[in-house]
Amino acid sequence: MPKAFVIALREYNAAVKTRAFLISLVVFPVLICGAVFMQWMLKDQVDTSEKRFAVIDRTPHEKLAATLAAASEAWNKTGGRDASGRQTRPTFVIERVAPSGDSPEAIAQQRFDLSERVRQGTLFGFVEIGGRVFDLPDAAHVPPGLSDAEDDVATALPTGDDRLAIRYQSSSPNYEAFRKWARPVINQAIRESRYAAESLPADKVRAAMQRVPLLTKGLTQRNPATGQFDEARDENPILSFLVPGGLLMLMFMLILLGSTPLMQGVVEEKMQRIAEVLLGSVRPFDLMLGKLLGLVGVSVTLAAVYLSGAYWAARHYGYADLVSIEVLAWFLVYLVLGVLMYGSLFVAVGAACTDLRETQAMLWPVMFLAMIPMFVWFNVVKEPNSAFSTVASFMPNATPMLMLVRVAVPPGVAWWQPALGALSVLAATVVCVYAAGRIFRVGLLLQGKSATPRELVRWIFQG
Amino acid sequence: MSQTSGPAVAIRGVTKTFGAHTAVRDLSLTVPRGAVYGFIGPNGSGKTTTLRMIMHILHPDSGEIEVLGEHSIRAANDRVGYLPEERGLYKSMTVRDVLQFYAGLKGLRRPRPAIDQWLERMELTAWAGKKVQALSKGMAQKVQFIAAVVSQPELVLLDEPFSGLDPVNLEVLRAAVLDLRRDGMTVIFSTHEMNVAERMCDSIFMIYRGNKVLDGTLDSIQSAYGSDTLRVRLNGEGRVPANLPGVQKLTDFGHYQELRLADGVDSQSVLAALMARGRVLHFELARPSLHDIFVRIAAPETEARDHA
Repeated sequence: MPKAFVIALREYNAAVKTRAFLISLVVFPVLICGAVFMQWMLKDQVDTSEKRFAVIDRTPHEKLAATLAAASEAWNKTGGRDASGRQTRPTFVIERVAPSGDSPEAIAQQRFDLSERVRQGTLFGFVEIGGRVFDLPDAAHVPPGLSDAEDDVATALPTGDDRLAIRYQSSSPNYEAFRKWARPVINQAIRESRYAAESLPADKVRAAMQRVPLLTKGLTQRNPATGQFDEARDENPILSFLVPGGLLMLMFMLILLGSTPLMQGVVEEKMQRIAEVLLGSVRPFDLMLGKLLGLVGVSVTLAAVYLSGAYWAARHYGYADLVSIEVLAWFLVYLVLGVLMYGSLFVAVGAACTDLRETQAMLWPVMFLAMIPMFVWFNVVKEPNSAFSTVASFMPNATPMLMLVRVAVPPGVAWWQPALGALSVLAATVVCVYAAGRIFRVGLLLQGKSATPRELVRWIFQG
Repeated sequence: MSQTSGPAVAIRGVTKTFGAHTAVRDLSLTVPRGAVYGFIGPNGSGKTTTLRMIMHILHPDSGEIEVLGEHSIRAANDRVGYLPEERGLYKSMTVRDVLQFYAGLKGLRRPRPAIDQWLERMELTAWAGKKVQALSKGMAQKVQFIAAVVSQPELVLLDEPFSGLDPVNLEVLRAAVLDLRRDGMTVIFSTHEMNVAERMCDSIFMIYRGNKVLDGTLDSIQSAYGSDTLRVRLNGEGRVPANLPGVQKLTDFGHYQELRLADGVDSQSVLAALMARGRVLHFELARPSLHDIFVRIAAPETEARDHA
């Protein structure tokens, strides 16, 4: 048996035949399931305590404040409760406050007084409805389409004119529940008033404004057995994120789960002088290659366990066709290449350090390279064929993860792209393994102090 | 193509430096096959570096090293067993697994019978299934020794194999090394135990500050230093005075004193001087021990100071 395989076999057994491996095998899915379960459990765990808000209505007759107060009473009775009558949302108490005079000083004074009450805790926040909110906005400032998005509406507001807006002031800007509730209530009342002012039939305008649903479907296919057209399947946007995101997370985890103990093993072999015994029997390159092959074996074993479990679950719940054989094949290819590439860098770090503490400092550039795909994968899932996604997926450090994401998002990419990406990763892997091998050869016998970056460069180019 | 004749190790003009420090300087050495060759020298003198170069773990800056007739790097490694100075065993592996692993690295296909045989011989059979971390230092050292020889190499390099061993384990290991020679293996070992080197080695090589200072059989080395040593025992509590004329160095071993004569001094004149001071029970004209030669080379400044 070639010596690299003897090393690989020992590394594999040392990693797999341990209690820690079995525990980590179970812990990961337990953590994921636990996180999902906790999210599900906590989804109704919201603050249901009563919150008091002051409302200043600067419109004539202050009708909007009255509408808001009436709506809050209705909400508190039924709106914030589930079918069993249990309160699941906070209750809102509206305190109407007479508007101050229209001078800027008087308005500022009133805002300050109410802000003081918020600071003292007698109010949670306050709403100020501008005096001219019933005015139709200037057509030039109304964006095309009917977007209700907050940013679009804000864009339409002439700069600095609070009279055309609703102000909400609070010391808890992240608290959304009241804003989400109050905004449509006030806006609906304003719209109704505008319809009446323009003599428009409110019921017809409401019907005309009713949005048309957009149904997201997959592609229509012809059934090869019957020759009929099959109804396209409903596309679930969450699932279309879940598969590439899950594969990316699994790839990232497998690379780190295996590489970190491998690096620690190298440091341990240095500290316990096992390396010298090994070097008496194998070439440094064979030793490193054996370690990397062992790591590949461990990662493929983990992947096989997790993917088999995921496939079983997907099949059980009728989602077996979400991941194609092609995606799984590319997952395996990129897993092997990614493990070899990052594993060699981790091994080099281990060889260059003399204890585990020092590896932390030297590891961060490698970790940064591995983390980059985690920062951008969301954009890649949303637009897998954009120029950014394409370029990012061809960066060798990111290819194993981002190209996989692009392949996994329907409809995938042309076959040559993952193939070319694999070739570029292969080239990068060869360079990494070569450089790591040079560092490994010299660093393995280094005792007493860790290598400096300058020494690492010298070892790579001069040996 | 391996050769079966010629020296086990031939080192020619080898120099190895680490930064500004020259660990080995222009070293030439020939170790014949079937010999037990002792490497001696003070700490940091270059013994381990030389052994590592023979193993091709380190590469010389200049010169060449031929091992078992092979010039190419590592070509002969499967025929060479190596026990490094610092013991290196995976603590979480069992004794049998770690030995099988090291035997596998040497290309041994079915190592089990040989491992069992060695474990029995080293009285470690009961520990075969135990983890290495459960072993005592002496037992771990014996396991490491088995790892070095289990593949029946033609050449065995042992770096300080006897250090830290109790007398019983030392004797077990010493007997095993001599058996290796009987089986035709070439054994090179480094040691600080001069009496072990004297008793076991066919030839001795001493390196000091990277330079070869001794190389040959014990007899030839001692002959080179001449018969300038007297072993003397006086009656009762009598002691040889430190300032005895003609004595360059005096070493007190308790039961007897060892005197090194200055150049050209007649031993009879020293005997006469001793007899004038008391009754002489033992008077022997001897060649210097290896220990004495070692100290003369490695600590000349100390000697000069002592003498003064």
